[in-house]
Amino acid sequence: MDNFIYFFTFQDLSILYVVIGIVLLGIGSAYVGTYSFLDKKALLGDAISHAVLPGICLGFILAGEKNPIYIVTGAFISGGIATFLTSWLKRNTKLSEDAIIASILSVFFGFGIVLLTMIQKGGNPEMAGLNHFIFGNAIAIVEKDLWVYGGLALVIILTLTIYQKEFNLLVFNPDYGKAIGYPMDRIRFGFNILMILSVVIGIQAIGVVLMAALLITPGAAARFWTNNLSKLLILSALFAVISGIAGTYISFIMPQMPTGPWVVVSLSLIALISILFAPKKGTISRFFSRNKYLKKTHKEHLLKALYKNQELHEPPLTIEKIYELYPYQIKEIKDSIDELFKNGLILKNQSIISLTDFGISEAKRVVRLHRLWETYLTEYMNIAPDHVHDSAEKLEHIITPELEAQLERRLNYPQLDPHQENIPRD
Amino acid sequence: MIIQAESPVLEIHDMTVSYDQSPVLWNVDFTLPSGQLIGVLGPNGAGKSTLIKAIMGLVEPSGGYVKVFDRSLAEVRSRISYVPQRESVDWNFPASVLDVVIMGTYGKLGLFKRPGKREKEVALASLDQVGMSAFVNRQISELSGGQQQRVFLARALAQDADLYLMDEPFAGVDMATEATIFELLKRMTKEGKTVVVVHHDIYSAMTYFDWMIMLNLHLVASGPKNQVVTEELLRKTYGGKLNLLSKVSEIVRKQDFNPLES
Amino acid sequence: MSFDQNAFLIILTGSLIAISCGLLGVFMMLRKMSMTGDAISHAVLPGIVIGFFVAGSQRGIEVIIGAGLLGILATLIIDWLRQKARVQLDASIGITFTLLFAIGIILINMLANNVDLDQECVLYGEIAYIPIDLWITGSGAVLGPRITYLALLNFTLVAGFIYFFFKELTLTSFDESFGSVIGIPSKGINLALMSMVSYTTVSSFEAVGAILVVALLVVPPATAFLWTKNMMPLIKLTTVLGIAISILGYYLAYLFDSSIAGMMVSVAGVLFLLSALIKGRSRKSAGTSIANI
Repeated sequence: MDNFIYFFTFQDLSILYVVIGIVLLGIGSAYVGTYSFLDKKALLGDAISHAVLPGICLGFILAGEKNPIYIVTGAFISGGIATFLTSWLKRNTKLSEDAIIASILSVFFGFGIVLLTMIQKGGNPEMAGLNHFIFGNAIAIVEKDLWVYGGLALVIILTLTIYQKEFNLLVFNPDYGKAIGYPMDRIRFGFNILMILSVVIGIQAIGVVLMAALLITPGAAARFWTNNLSKLLILSALFAVISGIAGTYISFIMPQMPTGPWVVVSLSLIALISILFAPKKGTISRFFSRNKYLKKTHKEHLLKALYKNQELHEPPLTIEKIYELYPYQIKEIKDSIDELFKNGLILKNQSIISLTDFGISEAKRVVRLHRLWETYLTEYMNIAPDHVHDSAEKLEHIITPELEAQLERRLNYPQLDPHQENIPRD
Repeated sequence: MIIQAESPVLEIHDMTVSYDQSPVLWNVDFTLPSGQLIGVLGPNGAGKSTLIKAIMGLVEPSGGYVKVFDRSLAEVRSRISYVPQRESVDWNFPASVLDVVIMGTYGKLGLFKRPGKREKEVALASLDQVGMSAFVNRQISELSGGQQQRVFLARALAQDADLYLMDEPFAGVDMATEATIFELLKRMTKEGKTVVVVHHDIYSAMTYFDWMIMLNLHLVASGPKNQVVTEELLRKTYGGKLNLLSKVSEIVRKQDFNPLES
Repeated sequence: MSFDQNAFLIILTGSLIAISCGLLGVFMMLRKMSMTGDAISHAVLPGIVIGFFVAGSQRGIEVIIGAGLLGILATLIIDWLRQKARVQLDASIGITFTLLFAIGIILINMLANNVDLDQECVLYGEIAYIPIDLWITGSGAVLGPRITYLALLNFTLVAGFIYFFFKELTLTSFDESFGSVIGIPSKGINLALMSMVSYTTVSSFEAVGAILVVALLVVPPATAFLWTKNMMPLIKLTTVLGIAISILGYYLAYLFDSSIAGMMVSVAGVLFLLSALIKGRSRKSAGTSIANI
């Protein structure tokens, strides 16, 4: 707890630097990443982040120490070469994009490892710091790093905000953009530069291997909560910042832990929560709405059965009879009976079940939709009357009043369905 | 107008197919006779390819079923052949014309067995039938679109099936080749095989096909050519989408899950 | 130059690994699944670490089982994200492998005090130690370099897999739907291929490292694909490239005093870029000549 208070009250100025750095970085990469996610280019970010390793090493060799300017420049140049090669290979060879990205990624990374081992064997005492670039160590961010990384993050955020319209075009409809006279090639070029920059600023804190997560996961997680682009950007930035701070905190209290993996784990946790619990798009919410819908279908089927029984003037249905009708759905039918009773749609007289007036009107609605759809299928889609039942069983639950009115008009308010049964109206 | 066939080779029962929860084919229900050349017609986006894919089990229908030779698809797989659209594969694949055509024999060959002399002969004969003998060792990316189409046809022939389903096999094929291939398909139907062809040209369709299926998101007509190709039915097929049907599709798509699945 | 037994062993092992990876990589590339291969090779890391922890050493069968399970788990998570959670494919791959890899790194750091697992070794491999890492039986008999045996076993299984399922692998790579139409179990073949890739990743990680396996999986097939037009030449050239990369990689690493695995990848990269430069241009002219026919 002491650690927690010490960390979050920022008594230590160096912690403040680290947190400011991680916040700016999180926002910048989540912004760029969300665009590349929407552009379905998420894995290009992965390739670039692996590809900056040789540049980092060369920057280190040239500077002889962990100088942020040399390292950032080196990383930017090798990221740039990798991006250029990717698009050149795509245009000039028969290789698929997938194979190109994977090749560039692994070749650059392998070359980076070669340089790294060479530096290692050179015995430079600053070498330990260089290892941090692989898995990240946010705690090692000092004031002079912050100026470089934070400054670049600000550049990214500002550029994306100022040119939001252009980048929206690039992601959603580049052909249209071209048609109305926007220089789409130059916008794409600009976006690639931002992408490389966002990777470059992340390498210190997150590391080259896992940087892809900071580009991909926030946007993918935020997508579950909203369809609105501005909200999407804000939410993904928020996710990135929260995980960034969580990861930094963990490597603060456990100094042997690299930051990157913990940032990724927190991010993935947020993504999992989004996937499961987001309203509407979340899997749990989808599961519940499906259940609710299934319940509705059971109830409506029961109402229909009761109505048809009345229509044919058969003796009233008992609970046992109803169970016999649906031998595989006893539990569902039981629940439906309870609920229909509670809502005043049916009456229970000992074991005899009958419809109330309200129940009759509701049952008529379902039967009407069923028979209207059957009529539509036979008349407009030429389907034989004995083949239309299954489809109507499904559609009767989702046809809206508006659509019902349209069906009625189209079919000219029919009296009988294809099976010569009455189409009931109130 | 839907005319049912007697002792049908193919029966489709009230089938609805959705892509990404959007129904693209509504309540299709028809039967097909054996030994005929059958055309599937309809405007772009009418669900012609989807129909073929659903028959082949490549897309799962959300309602209804398909029976081939009065059995389920799994039981009669080897008796059905399929010619996919040319764009469905990457033609940069490292294979020669012969390699691709021999693939048609893999189904009968079974696991572990390698194609041998017999399979090669079958493949060469099939290539000869589509007039591609001169290109046996050509790399497939070096063929023109029409030639690639004919390689796919030869692959299906090499399978030696009883029912052939072909998805736009004449796209990019020149008129003369089209005529020769139609002659070939006619000969096949004379041998008792059934050939179903997705086609886009109504004029050549009138010349060659015996039976027609007309689609526009739902089945407009199915039956012998001279009975179903009427001005009224053509207008129904090509006269734009059904407003009401599109509205229902929209409602289905907006649900959180597919309500058409049982 | 006298026969250098150590060099021979290292090059032999390197070649065996490069060929195993390359052969599987050919099919991964043709299926446009190279990045999935990349994801699997990252994702097996936690399996390796857990297996290592359970077995107490790198030599346990637990390591291979753990990694194999994680490899399959990774493909299942990718599928789940895609189909059930409706996340687009590229993002599904990205989320899955970064998460599993991160967990692996965390586990290494947590268990660092308890087990003798070297982060550098798992990630970058150290093929140079092969000659001194001997397989010693319980009775004390020395049977030879352990990793070379592993590589040989892996190579035999991969070669056997591809030999027996060659026509199924080829057909489903070219035209998966035709494959399922004529009754070839496409899903089973796909799962088998993914399992082989995870197994190969694990089996090779000690030598070339989990991260660099992907380079051997991807780059030689992509290079060979630029030069060939048919399956057999593609496979043969991939094999030759695997051997050439090992030989050149070894001697260049020796020359520059650098990581052998890293140098192998660098050699592969240079060959790849040179091939792209040569074939890339000639492809354009070939393209126009086809258009003129």
